[in-house]
Amino acid sequence: MRVRRVVLLSSVIAVCLVLLTLQSRGRGALAGQAIGVVAAPLQTVLTKVGRGAVGMWTTYVDWKAFRAENRRIREELAGLRVEALRVRETEEENARLRRLLALQERLPLSTLSGEVIAREWGWARALTVNRGAADRIIRMTPAINPEGLVGRVVEVRSGSSIIQTINDPASTVGGTVQRTRTSGIVEGEPSGATRFKYMARDGEAPRVGDLVVTSGLGGLFPKGIPIGRVGALIERGSALFQYAVLTPEVDFQRLEEVLLLTGQTAVDLAGHFPGSG
Amino acid sequence: MRASLALLIFGGGLAQTTFASFIRIGDVVPDIPLTVVVLLALRRGPEIGCLAGFASGLFQDVLGGGLVGVQALTKALTGFTLGKIGGHLWVHEPLVQVVGLVVLSIVEGVARFLLMQFFHFPGAFGDLMLHVVLPQSLYNGVIGAALVLAMAWTERMRAHSSWR
Repeated sequence: MRVRRVVLLSSVIAVCLVLLTLQSRGRGALAGQAIGVVAAPLQTVLTKVGRGAVGMWTTYVDWKAFRAENRRIREELAGLRVEALRVRETEEENARLRRLLALQERLPLSTLSGEVIAREWGWARALTVNRGAADRIIRMTPAINPEGLVGRVVEVRSGSSIIQTINDPASTVGGTVQRTRTSGIVEGEPSGATRFKYMARDGEAPRVGDLVVTSGLGGLFPKGIPIGRVGALIERGSALFQYAVLTPEVDFQRLEEVLLLTGQTAVDLAGHFPGSG
Repeated sequence: MRASLALLIFGGGLAQTTFASFIRIGDVVPDIPLTVVVLLALRRGPEIGCLAGFASGLFQDVLGGGLVGVQALTKALTGFTLGKIGGHLWVHEPLVQVVGLVVLSIVEGVARFLLMQFFHFPGAFGDLMLHVVLPQSLYNGVIGAALVLAMAWTERMRAHSSWR
């Protein structure tokens, strides 16, 4: 066994030395060329396989990275959309509250702001606001917003109040056409529309587009609060009263906040509303 | 068995000239044939180690285009020496195998440099050690560790399947 090992090692060393000696004397290139002929095709194939494997791996890594990035961007986009909605909502609320605050500061009477927390849109048309007896709200308190008259408080609870809007069928408000000073009554209709009932042939007739404001008669609503604009005139022959269909100044569908008029004033408020006059 | 040995030896040589460039770190490529020779010598003794070293070294010399016989001689001596003293070392420990591979890679590099001096090799020993032999030896250690783990896993799987 030991002899065999020594012989093997000696042979290997001898072969190597012979090879090296032959090469140093300029021979021995033939053996190298012969092996090269056999090995070159194998090397070509292996290199191609290696490049292919590396290419596939790179593609996979890229694909994985793109997928992860895509998922991250999608999540980010969804978050940003929600954020944008929130910002827009906040901006709109901010604008509404600014206008409400500006009106509150302009008006020469004490007011209290309230937030709409519920709506009744069926037989009756009413809003519930988060102000009640605890805030010293009493029945018949007028409710307005920067556009005009909303309605009046018809029921007071401890922490909330119900406001009957001016388009409720049971609502009646004394109104005046601002341009002609024609007096009449603004009534709600079951359809949700509002009409202005006025004395026919009493002075100059209203025209489409005229603004109707509160008359102040009866002492409930201060004078000059915008109610709506004349949308159409309905002639009914020789009837004593004629009607004008009103388009309310207030958009009840989008109403979010109101001002409750807790004080009284005899001053005409028409100049305090941007849309009037 | 012989076929798989031949495949291992020549496959290592071919892999060195083809795949090694794909797994290089900077300019450092592992010496895959040497790793194969060391692992074979540790497991199969000096004769297989010597023959494997000679064959793979010769193959590498030819494919590499250098002096044919240099690596054949150094790898044969490495395989033989390791196979001989392997019985006296605690070589069943994977850590010993990996550290031994690093040390042997350095020894093989030094031996190759000394042999090349007879043929007027122009490189400086310090530069060669710093930039080629030492980084390659460390890389060989990493490759060796991976191979040792792979072989251990294969043997465990084989034992598990035969037990069943």
